[in-house]
Amino acid sequence: MAKVKIATVWLESCAGCHMSLLDVDEFIIDLSKLVEFRRSPITDIKGFDDVVVGIIEGCIGNEEEKEVAEELRQHSQIIMALGDCACFGGVCAMRNTLDKADVLKRAYIDTPSTYKGKIPKSPGVPELLNKVYPVNQIIKVDCYIPGCPPEPEAIKYGLTELLAGRIPVVPSNIMRFD
Amino acid sequence: MSEITLTINGKQCKGKQGDSVLDVCVANGIELPTLCHFKGLSDVGACRMCLVEIEKERNLVPACTHPASDGQVVRTSTEKLEKYRRLILELLFTERNHLCAYCVATGDCELQKLAYKYQMDNARYEYAWPVKTVDSSHPYIVMDHNRCILCGRCIRICDEITGAHALDFGKRGWKTNVCADINQPLGESSCISCGGCFQACPTGAIFSKASAYKGKTAECTAVSSVCTICGVGCDIKGLVKDNHLVKIESPDMAKPRGLLCQMGRFESLYNPTEKVRTPLKRNSKGQLQSCTYKEAFETIAKGLGSGDTVAGLASGRASNEALKAFSDLMTKTLGSKLVDTLDGNDFRTITEGIARFDARAGLGMEASLEEILTADSIVVIGANPIKSHPVVGSYILRATAKNKSNLVVIDPLRNPFTFRATVWLRPPEGKKALAVKAIGKAIVEHGLPKSAGDKSKFSVNFKDTDIKKAAKDLDIDVHDINRAAEVLAESKNGIIIYGDGVLQYKDADIVALILNLAALINTQPKVISLKRYGNSRGAWDAGLGNPDNTVAAELNKGKVKGAYLLLADDPAESQALADSLGSVEFVVAQASYLSPVTALASVVLPSLHWTESKGTYTTIDGILKSTAPIVKVSEDILTDADTIKEIASRLKK
Repeated sequence: MAKVKIATVWLESCAGCHMSLLDVDEFIIDLSKLVEFRRSPITDIKGFDDVVVGIIEGCIGNEEEKEVAEELRQHSQIIMALGDCACFGGVCAMRNTLDKADVLKRAYIDTPSTYKGKIPKSPGVPELLNKVYPVNQIIKVDCYIPGCPPEPEAIKYGLTELLAGRIPVVPSNIMRFD
Repeated sequence: MSEITLTINGKQCKGKQGDSVLDVCVANGIELPTLCHFKGLSDVGACRMCLVEIEKERNLVPACTHPASDGQVVRTSTEKLEKYRRLILELLFTERNHLCAYCVATGDCELQKLAYKYQMDNARYEYAWPVKTVDSSHPYIVMDHNRCILCGRCIRICDEITGAHALDFGKRGWKTNVCADINQPLGESSCISCGGCFQACPTGAIFSKASAYKGKTAECTAVSSVCTICGVGCDIKGLVKDNHLVKIESPDMAKPRGLLCQMGRFESLYNPTEKVRTPLKRNSKGQLQSCTYKEAFETIAKGLGSGDTVAGLASGRASNEALKAFSDLMTKTLGSKLVDTLDGNDFRTITEGIARFDARAGLGMEASLEEILTADSIVVIGANPIKSHPVVGSYILRATAKNKSNLVVIDPLRNPFTFRATVWLRPPEGKKALAVKAIGKAIVEHGLPKSAGDKSKFSVNFKDTDIKKAAKDLDIDVHDINRAAEVLAESKNGIIIYGDGVLQYKDADIVALILNLAALINTQPKVISLKRYGNSRGAWDAGLGNPDNTVAAELNKGKVKGAYLLLADDPAESQALADSLGSVEFVVAQASYLSPVTALASVVLPSLHWTESKGTYTTIDGILKSTAPIVKVSEDILTDADTIKEIASRLKK
C-alpha cells in the first residue's frame, strides 16, 4: 500500500505542537511506515505537492501565513488544525485586544533591549494582519486537535482515526486547552 | 409541602412543590451541565447550559429557573439540546478573551470542563476580542474581566451570602460588566474581602493573588478543619500541595458557618513574620539562641521552680487542650493563683454583667450566632463585627437585606452597618450606657405587646431615666430614641450584639443593662458578646479567667518573679503586654511568632500554628470544634499541650 502523504506547516506559534507530534513515543515508528511527510519543518521540503492530510500548527497573523494556509488547503484533502493557536488563536491572540501599530512599536522600538530600533518595512517581511485568526476563520478546517501543546495521546488518536478513514473528534478525556 | 412526580428521561422522579426542574434532577441524581447555578444561591437562568425539553412547553427552558410541576415530562439530553449546549459554549468562548493556555483557572475552570465534555475543539463564530481590563487594586483579589462569562455568581454570593452587595452588573447589553460599587476599583470599594466571589467564580475572572499559579485543585489534597481566628468557628477546607498551603476554601458556602472571611481565607497565607521553630534561650551575651527542648525545660524548671510567685497569662488563641494543661500547670503544679487570660478584663466585664442580671446565669445564656439570621430586630452596640468577626457582620447584613430586619446601631463610629441601620444613634464616647437606658425607658413608655408577658422585672432598671434629659446629654434627637424604641418594642425576636466598644470601659453595669434591654425585646434575652480571641470562650470555660484581676495588680506591685505566657499563634503586636512584664525576672513565652514579649523572655518555646496542629476550640457561642493539621511540621516540635505537660512533670520532681 502506498504511504499516505502528509504535509505540516508551522505558522504563527512556538513549534511546540511539532515537538508534541514527535513526542508520540514508539508510535512514530508505526507512523513512519504508514505515512510520508512531504512539506514540513521536520523534512525541510519547501514546495507544495498534493497530500491527503495537511496539518497546520499556529494561527494566522500575517500575509505570508495566510498565503501558506490557503495554498495548503488547495493541496490537501483534509486539513487538521493542531494546537490551541490553530484552533482558537492561542497565546498569539493576546495581541488581538491591542492596536497593530502599538504592537509593532512595542516589539521593535520600546522593548528595553532594543537600541535604535525601527519597524521593519520591506517586501521581504510579510505585513502583519490587523488581528490574529484561528485557522478556521481563513480556510475550511476538517478536524481539530487542541492543546498547548496538544497531548501526544490526542495527536496519536487524531492520526490513527484519519488513517482509518474517519474524521477525528478528540475524546473529552484526552482533550486539553492547556 | 406536597410531593410531585415528574418523568425525567423516562424515569419517575419525585420532587417537592416549589422545586425547580433542576432541583428535582439533582435530587434524583440526574446530571445537568450548569454554569450560573451555585448551591445556596438563588437561580437566575443566565448561562442557559441547563436547558431542557419539556413536553407541551413551546420553547426549551432553563431547568434552574423553571418550576417543576406534577406530571411534567422532561428530557435533559437530546441531540437538539446537546447541539445547543455546544453552541452556547462557543458563544461564551468567542464573546470574551478566554485563552486557557495562560489563564490562572486552567484545570479548575468549569467553562473549560464543559468545553471538554462537549468536545468543543473549535468555535464557529467570529471572535469578538473585546478590550477588557484587569483590576488588581485589591490587596487579595484580582478581577479579570477578560475571563468573565457574566454568570453573576460573584454578585449573588456578595449579596445573598456575604451581605455586602459590593458587586453588581454595571452598564447594559454588550458592555455589561461586573463592577464594584459605582464602578470603582475593587480595592477602593465596599468589598469586605470575604473571598466568596473567587470561590464561586466558575472561570478565572476572579481569583486570589496568594493562591494564583500555586497549584490546581486536582493537584492539592483537601484537609477539613476549622478556622480558629475569631471564634465564629467556620468550617474550612485547606488545600495543600507539597505540604504548602495553597488556599483555604469553604466546604459549603450555603451553610451558615460556611462563609469565611478575610481573616480565615488570607491570614494563614500571608504569614506576618518568621515562625519560632525551636526553643530559644538566652546565651552568655544575653541574646536569644536556639537550644534543645531539654536545655529549655531545664532552664524553665530552674526559673519557675524556685518557689517564688509565678503568674500565668494565656491567650485565647490556644487550643482547649493547651489551655487545660496550662491551667493544671499553674494552679496544681505551681500552686499559683495569679492566672488570667489576655482578655481577662472582657471576661470580668461580661461574667459580672451576666451575674448582675441573673445570678444563676453564665456565659451559656448567650445566644447562638445563627439566631442573628432569624432575628427581626438587631441592636449592635459598640461593635464593628465586619472587622472583628466578619461572618457575624455578614449575618447582620443578610438579616437586614433578606428579612428586612430592623437594625439599631449604637456607636459613635461609622461602620459598614450604619448606612443600613433603621436608626443610628451616636452617643458621645463613654455614654453608651445612657443611650441604652434611654432606649429602655422609651420602650417601656411606648409599651410592650401583651404577648410579651410580665417584663416589669426588667423594665424597672430603666424607670429612673429621663429621655429628654438623656437626649440632650447624648446630643441625640429625641425622635431617634423613640424611633429605635418603637421598632424594638414591636419586634418579637430581637437580638443584641456588643463588642469592644462596650467592653473597653470594663463596666459590668452596661452589660447588665444590655441584658435587661434584650429581655424587653424578646421572650428570652438574646445577647451575643464578641470575644476578642478565637478561643476566648474555651479559655474562660477552662477556668483561666481571673474573677478578681489579681494578676495585673501583683505585676504592678513588682512582686511577681516569674511569668509564663502562652501566646500561641497570635500574630498581633503586644508591646503593652511586654511593658507590663517589665519587673518580672524570668519570663517564659510560648509563641508561634517573635514579638515584643518574646524579646524580653528568658526562654521562648515554639507554638504550632492552628493550621499545623490538632486541637479543639470553643466558639463564642459555646460550640466545640476540632482542627486538623493542614500542613505537616517536623515531628520534633511539640504541641502546646505536650510542651506544658512536659514542664509540669519536671516541676513536680
